[in-house]
Amino acid sequence: MSAAFFALRDVGMRFGGLRALNRFSMEVAQGSIHALIGPNGAGKSTVFNCVSRFYRPSEGDITFDGRSLLSLPQHRIAGLGIARTFQNIELCRGLTVLENILVGMASRTPLYFPFGPSARRNRVEQAALADAEELLERTGLARHRDTPAEQLDFGHQKMLDLARALACKPKLLLLDEPAAGLRNREVAALDALLVDLARNQGITIVLVEHVMQLVMAVADRITVLNFGEKIAEGAPAEIRSNPLVIEAYLGKGAHA
Amino acid sequence: MYGAPPLRRLSLLLLLIAAGFALPLVLPQYFLYLGNFLMTFAVLALGLDLLLGWAGQFAFAHIAFFGIGVYATALLQARLGIPFIFGMPMAAMLAGFIGLLIGLPATRLRTVYLALATFAFAEAAQWVFNSWDKVTGGPDGLRIAAPDVFGYKLGTDPTAFPVVTIILAIMIAAAMYLTTSKFGRAMCAIRDSEHVAAASGINVRGTKAWAFAISAVYAGVAGGMYTLFQSFVNPDVFSFHQIVLLLSMIVVGGLGSLPGVLIGVGLLGLLPEIMRTSMRGLLVWQEFVYGVILILAMMFMPRGIWGFVRAWRGQ
Repeated sequence: MSAAFFALRDVGMRFGGLRALNRFSMEVAQGSIHALIGPNGAGKSTVFNCVSRFYRPSEGDITFDGRSLLSLPQHRIAGLGIARTFQNIELCRGLTVLENILVGMASRTPLYFPFGPSARRNRVEQAALADAEELLERTGLARHRDTPAEQLDFGHQKMLDLARALACKPKLLLLDEPAAGLRNREVAALDALLVDLARNQGITIVLVEHVMQLVMAVADRITVLNFGEKIAEGAPAEIRSNPLVIEAYLGKGAHA
Repeated sequence: MYGAPPLRRLSLLLLLIAAGFALPLVLPQYFLYLGNFLMTFAVLALGLDLLLGWAGQFAFAHIAFFGIGVYATALLQARLGIPFIFGMPMAAMLAGFIGLLIGLPATRLRTVYLALATFAFAEAAQWVFNSWDKVTGGPDGLRIAAPDVFGYKLGTDPTAFPVVTIILAIMIAAAMYLTTSKFGRAMCAIRDSEHVAAASGINVRGTKAWAFAISAVYAGVAGGMYTLFQSFVNPDVFSFHQIVLLLSMIVVGGLGSLPGVLIGVGLLGLLPEIMRTSMRGLLVWQEFVYGVILILAMMFMPRGIWGFVRAWRGQ
């Protein structure tokens, strides 16, 4: 079997006596949208935080494009082409929308001497600016270009979080509840955007989400996590009718 | 904060330098002394603001780097005969190097723990200034010989004024370029969210350590400026009281904004002079007045005077 594009193998994560992840494995095919679902506290965000290297798993391995991530420092992850959004929207609140995008581009913006003018500086900054403006157009944030992030409404903050992640031109995008709190119309737009990213731009997406309408519509494959363990995996149709999954979400006897 | 600083703002610095040459011809000595002192404090405050207002690191070691800058510049000249134009950059680099050494372990700490650790460093440095008699002269202080710049003997307020102004202009320009650069954005990102910074590919610890070093270089340069117009230094100059004054200047003027810092330095630096000349009766209340200003600023202008002005203009 060839190595998966992105894989977790037997990953374990303990916080004191709590087992947040127990020998969790998952393989994500290139170009697919892979949903990771499960009840609150199942360990979904923990998976992302292990990939981001915010947490150090106590066992197992995480590989991307054939190389292990666990030997790399946090700030090297983005450079490999792995970007993420955050469950509770994390933004550089004091910076404008455009500046947030420029921050997101950090991993692919070359360094230059910062204390004075130079031709290299002009070149780098102009190229970065052009790229950022183009991304703002694409994500519908161009109107808010110079608005401080903290003054955006909730929906636009969510979109900025996603746009900031896209700014590093990721090959793998980890989305932590992108639809949470969005209105139906906004969820439909997100649905279309995710499908476009995966199908037309070849970005592999791992999606943690509670909004089942979105998950069932876009996911190629679904992994279900409960109490740190994988309880099911398969295509949306299989997952929908899996008794273990229904039990985890609704309790025993719910599928009578 | 991208691209480069606007030319309109940079050209203001040329005006500043012109004033640096013109004012000694018209102003009395005392005002020139005050000007030198405030400009030195402005460089000191700019450096602290880069670390505190831009990179978001609550550190209190700044005044120690100022001391290192003063003693190193003075001693390089007195003991080794190294002239100011080489001595001051060397002293600033030394301060920056020590800043980097302090920054590397200090960046593992956050908030109040970082504040305490850096405060301890500042106290330790003052202890060294006090006890290392053979080098610093201990509590008796150290005479600073009048420095030579391109053959011109400085050391008095009118002669030092133009040079102090030029150094200030250079340090403001460097800060303007820094804060509009990729590195400046990385500092802001860390201030606002270390998670976003790290996930975007910013080396959080490395950036913090460099911010420490840059901030220390500013303090070191300010130390060098001090030797241009002062003929004597003792460890009392680097007491904790000064860091409180510096913090007040930055907070009142506006954290994380260059014009705000300069406004804060001017306002709180001139306050004791205004009180001395026109409100003599209030002079004993000086510390109290500082406290009231700080509290009022935080209550009604949490982003400082400059933040207030900007919000007001924007509406």
